Amino acid sequence: MNPRQNDNFMLWVDAVGGFLVCPADEVTLGQPIRCDIVDVPILGDISNRHARIQRDGEGYLIKAIRDVRLDGRPVGRVGRLADGSRIVLGEGVRLVFRRPHALSGTARLEFDSHHRTQPTADAVLLMADACVLGPNRHCHVVCRDWTREVILYRHDEQLYCRTEGKFQIDGVRHENRGPLSRGSRVEGDGFSLNLEEL
Amino acid sequence: MGKCSTPKTRLNSPMQHKAAAVEPNGRDTMNFSPIEPGDSMAGLPERPAGKFVYHGGSRPLEGYTIKRAIGQGGFGEIYYATSDAGKEVALKLIRRNLDVELRGIRHCLNLKHPNLLALYDIRQDNEGDTWVVMEYASGGCLQDAVADNPRGLPVDKALAWFHGIAAGVAYLHDRGIVHRDLKPGNVFSDEGFVKVGDYGLSKFISCSRRSGQTESVGTVHYMAPEVANGRYGKEIDIYAMGVMLYEILTGRVPFDGESVGEVLMKHLTATADLSALAEPYRGVVGRALEKDPRKRFQSIAEMAAALPSATQGAAGAGMPPGKFTAASAAAIGGMPPPGQEKEVVEARVVDEEPILRMVQDSFEKLRTAWDEANLTTPVKVALLVLGLFVLLAGSGTLIPLAVMLLVVYGGYRVVRMLVLSGQSPDGTATRPTVVQPPPVAQKAAAPPRSSPPRSPPGHRGVDRAQARPGHGQRHPRYRHHYHPHEEAAMALVLKPRRERFAELVGSLLIGSLSALVMCVVVVLLISYHGAVPRPEQCAWLALMSIAGTWAVLIPSKFWEGTLGEAALRRFVMMLVGLGLGAVAFGVASALMVDLPYPRDFPEPSNYQLPDGFYLQGRPLAMAYMACFGTLFLLMRWWRQADPLRVSRLSIWPLVVSTAMAGVVAAAWHFPQPWLPMVAVCVAVSVQLASPWVHPSKRARPRKSRPRKSQPRKA
Repeated sequence: MNPRQNDNFMLWVDAVGGFLVCPADEVTLGQPIRCDIVDVPILGDISNRHARIQRDGEGYLIKAIRDVRLDGRPVGRVGRLADGSRIVLGEGVRLVFRRPHALSGTARLEFDSHHRTQPTADAVLLMADACVLGPNRHCHVVCRDWTREVILYRHDEQLYCRTEGKFQIDGVRHENRGPLSRGSRVEGDGFSLNLEEL
Repeated sequence: MGKCSTPKTRLNSPMQHKAAAVEPNGRDTMNFSPIEPGDSMAGLPERPAGKFVYHGGSRPLEGYTIKRAIGQGGFGEIYYATSDAGKEVALKLIRRNLDVELRGIRHCLNLKHPNLLALYDIRQDNEGDTWVVMEYASGGCLQDAVADNPRGLPVDKALAWFHGIAAGVAYLHDRGIVHRDLKPGNVFSDEGFVKVGDYGLSKFISCSRRSGQTESVGTVHYMAPEVANGRYGKEIDIYAMGVMLYEILTGRVPFDGESVGEVLMKHLTATADLSALAEPYRGVVGRALEKDPRKRFQSIAEMAAALPSATQGAAGAGMPPGKFTAASAAAIGGMPPPGQEKEVVEARVVDEEPILRMVQDSFEKLRTAWDEANLTTPVKVALLVLGLFVLLAGSGTLIPLAVMLLVVYGGYRVVRMLVLSGQSPDGTATRPTVVQPPPVAQKAAAPPRSSPPRSPPGHRGVDRAQARPGHGQRHPRYRHHYHPHEEAAMALVLKPRRERFAELVGSLLIGSLSALVMCVVVVLLISYHGAVPRPEQCAWLALMSIAGTWAVLIPSKFWEGTLGEAALRRFVMMLVGLGLGAVAFGVASALMVDLPYPRDFPEPSNYQLPDGFYLQGRPLAMAYMACFGTLFLLMRWWRQADPLRVSRLSIWPLVVSTAMAGVVAAAWHFPQPWLPMVAVCVAVSVQLASPWVHPSKRARPRKSRPRKSQPRKA
């Protein structure tokens, strides 16, 4: 398999869900045939490379390669995405674009139709600098029963995990923050998650 | 699939399962660790983080790799895993301590129906644990959907769910299999199809030790009354479907309670309140919930025929619109997709009176600040002593003011109650009909109605925030679903008698000791503030503090883990208080204690002391009894002894105890400040002496002990 240019990984959050995390500024959506160029492989009636979503400073743009509709209207070349934007790829693949956290550039792509990514993820996280997991609505990953927020963030190409209090990364104790690798396991008070490299 | 991280296998000693010794105060001392010792550079963690035994990357079964935990099931944990080729499955771990028989499940292994969650295989791992390999449903379960719609789902979604479940269960009945464990936690949505899971499993796990053991509270809400007698047939599934239909439409179960026993009693004797349902749902649920199985629907098909068919754009019955995933459903906040009106929903009236709520909220904030201030107990005690001193210093003016405020508030409360006299017993205002079946044509034609009572998304976030641990008790409708302490509460209720007794004795001893210490502290405060109390007065204080502590600890021990009925408990506590008052009088007489009125309190001659109560300005038995009885009636003392209270030593109960005691004493013209002193000693001692389960230990599952299998919330 050709090496992928983007460092995507899976984020598995126990008792919550599994998420495809794409840290790059531009992601390509398409069929799962070409895993080396497609960041968000979708098992659907779309083409190999169907659209691109680009993070442009603080905003997001969707660039149509094939037919894409945004909020009901066809996208010519580029469309601007906002919280709640409805994207339709091809005929039937319906996505919802979310930016739940006002202060973070990270966005979330959810499926409104029954299509799935490959590997199956409950949502796609387009990670800017930080990804917030917690019980509140503004969190990128809403973890219903959690008592605190856990933040995964990037700094200088390194991933970190930050949360209040003590927790463990791969068995090593940390307090308040600690570095992560793309295969790490994090366990804390009332939460556990692990990353998986793709 | 990409490569996984180095698989971390569980420490493979089977004895780990059995090392579940539980300390007398309810704390689980098991300290298994899913991490190999070599990984941790700082030594073994003090307690296992996270709740699940296995984590992403583990391979307990040959051919499958666990990706993440899905949640806690009835008999064990459920994980999302993929086979080596990438086929996704759900792996359900059946704990080895339960008696496991393969007989029943074999029949179910080869059942096929679009509305049944497929069972692929049953395997055993190297530890001897049994795993059920089954279909993974990527949508959420019905329980989540109901939780996201606390006032009930829209009718079309509800019917879609119901007909899907009905189809699956009808198939099971046709094959002669009774599900026995139907509940929203066992019904899933997968790409729009309703899947019923966990069938055959409750027979699979032959709880041969079932006699005397009760099901966990989660299951019992759906349990037909005849199950308790042991003779039942497929009608129990119809009963469970009636309960589920009620819950889907209204957001709550018809029979709820604070303990397993209470819910069972209601199943056996109470009639459900169906006023929130309109026809035909009311009739259908009513007939499905008949106590006599012969009066219920005799088949699922009959029940389903009595309801409208699923009115839904997508093809066929059993297709709930929209996709429910744990992430998206919670993220969207339960808003129905556009183009779908929510049916008639009226807001629920806040059950608590606004002023009281405001006061409580501000004290709640203070209390949370106190609890989260990360102070150690000795520091807290020191702060409290300081606070006490301040309070006593100002008590001359504070108490009459407090009395006045309380009287005014009491009057207001009475007036309010009279005005709102249309209340139903549970305190909500009369609810207009919640659910109305939409005529199909009208639904298509009517434009989406903006319904102001529907809580806007922002508010919903607050609701959920409020349903977090510690606030769980203020939202009764969340209690049976998301009471975060439910497992811990169950453990408390099921504690064996001997253990409970041992704990009680321990508590009494600690309570006595701390009461003595508190007495010393309080006496010192008083001495600084006014005259030094005489030895016999100190003795009286000490004895009464100890007696008071015991008086609270003993009933609370029996009420552990249940919330019970406040009125009844208050009554019992009042009787206890009266008894305590008599004891107080006895002790006072025996020691020949003179409880004088301190200098800065108004002289008794200013008041008309009631004759039967006082003799020459000294209190008689009646006065003692009246004071203690009232104090015990007015306050919920047992809450301070609750092992599931928010923090071990909390300031709010102390403040309230002292203030209330002061008010009561003033009302009965009892010499101040003796009653508040006793009250504060008792409050502190009770909290210090009562067992307290640390919040981190409440959500963790307790491993079954070798001789008893613990039921688990499903």
